[in-house]
Amino acid sequence: MANGLTVRSSIENLDPTALNNLRDAYSKMQDISDNRGWIYWAGIHGIPQFLCWHHSRVGSDEFPYDLFLPWHRAYLLYFEHTVMDQNNAASLPWWDWTSDESHTNGIPESFAVPKVGGKANSLASGPMPPIGKRPARRTRRGPDDPGNLPSADAVQNLMDLGNYTDFSNQVQDIHDSVHGWVGGDMGVVATSAFDPIFWSHHCMIDRIWYLWQLQNGINNIPADYLSKPLAPFALTVRDVLDINSLGYEYAQSSVSVNA
Amino acid sequence: MAQKKSSKAPNVDSPIKLPSKKYVSKEIPCDSLKKPFRRADLIFDGVEHDGPSFEARVFVNNEKADAKTPKDPKNGYAGTFHIFGHGGCFGDVGHCEVRGTPRRYDPRPAHPLTPARKVLIATEALREAGKGKAMKVTVVPIVRSESLEGKYDNVLKFEKISVVTYN
Repeated sequence: MANGLTVRSSIENLDPTALNNLRDAYSKMQDISDNRGWIYWAGIHGIPQFLCWHHSRVGSDEFPYDLFLPWHRAYLLYFEHTVMDQNNAASLPWWDWTSDESHTNGIPESFAVPKVGGKANSLASGPMPPIGKRPARRTRRGPDDPGNLPSADAVQNLMDLGNYTDFSNQVQDIHDSVHGWVGGDMGVVATSAFDPIFWSHHCMIDRIWYLWQLQNGINNIPADYLSKPLAPFALTVRDVLDINSLGYEYAQSSVSVNA
Repeated sequence: MAQKKSSKAPNVDSPIKLPSKKYVSKEIPCDSLKKPFRRADLIFDGVEHDGPSFEARVFVNNEKADAKTPKDPKNGYAGTFHIFGHGGCFGDVGHCEVRGTPRRYDPRPAHPLTPARKVLIATEALREAGKGKAMKVTVVPIVRSESLEGKYDNVLKFEKISVVTYN
């Protein structure tokens, strides 16, 4: 924590203790079957609740609005607190799919290794409920060539888009491409949030929005959006514009040594 | 869809890359591309996203483009947009039917499967196309995920394509 804020770091920079805390929290959530558990929280995005926001839609006021970025910011916040209920020292890391490491090896090792210390790696897959006649199972992936992940230049180009709607549309396309790149259950809306890498992918998207806000204005969003509720979370768009007021921060780097 | 199991780790399959039916537009007049502009977009309205995820490679003035066509200006490549698909219908009959125009006092957001707008920034490809009288746009979809119904032959469906320039 810095100034009481939760610090979100890159998965590549997580020290072993922080990584263990995350694995511990995810593992506990994956074993819980009630509304503190993995399947409940992943089920808000896709099966069975389908409350996620993607693309612009027309509401009853006929204003075509797109809550993709604010809705997922609220979702991550609620999820992160639920994670911390299981391990108070855990926080969500972002997956920088533009990094040299990712463009060489694809899925980060922390998410890829099947076992850690003889136990199943809770970052490698998550539990999924039965779907129709298909039985419950763990999530699967089918990653593409690492060279096909979005480049740092593609993300940098987004920073120059001064219009929120334009930025949201373009960053959403990059987001879409990464879901398809991971493939498997991450590849479709209905099942993606059951995969643990979903949360770090969206942390990266949220961080890109934050970096864009630093350059283009925290309150740079159409006024019509501000009072829109982010159901089922008790937040509106206005409430989620400033990440510091939500109690977290994105670290550029983090190094620690034992005393 | 048959998937080859990777030897690297459990829960990892080979990536899905399936070509699907491509789209070739009618001729689009290039009059608006004759004037100076700093940015030009190809806008796809009413794009359906209820099925599998796919990438859509867009080519200008290359009707023969397919999944093997190199993504370079020489082949008219303008860019790629991506669809994060719903993955098929996981509900009962009617679950994925998009509701009509919202009632006046209906506070609910529109249906999640309301068709999307995708904006492809394609400035240089359209600048080149503007040298001619008219152009055709070819879109080559490549499926990147499974879908519950297992239908992959015609995933790209949309209502309208527009060319928009900014100065």
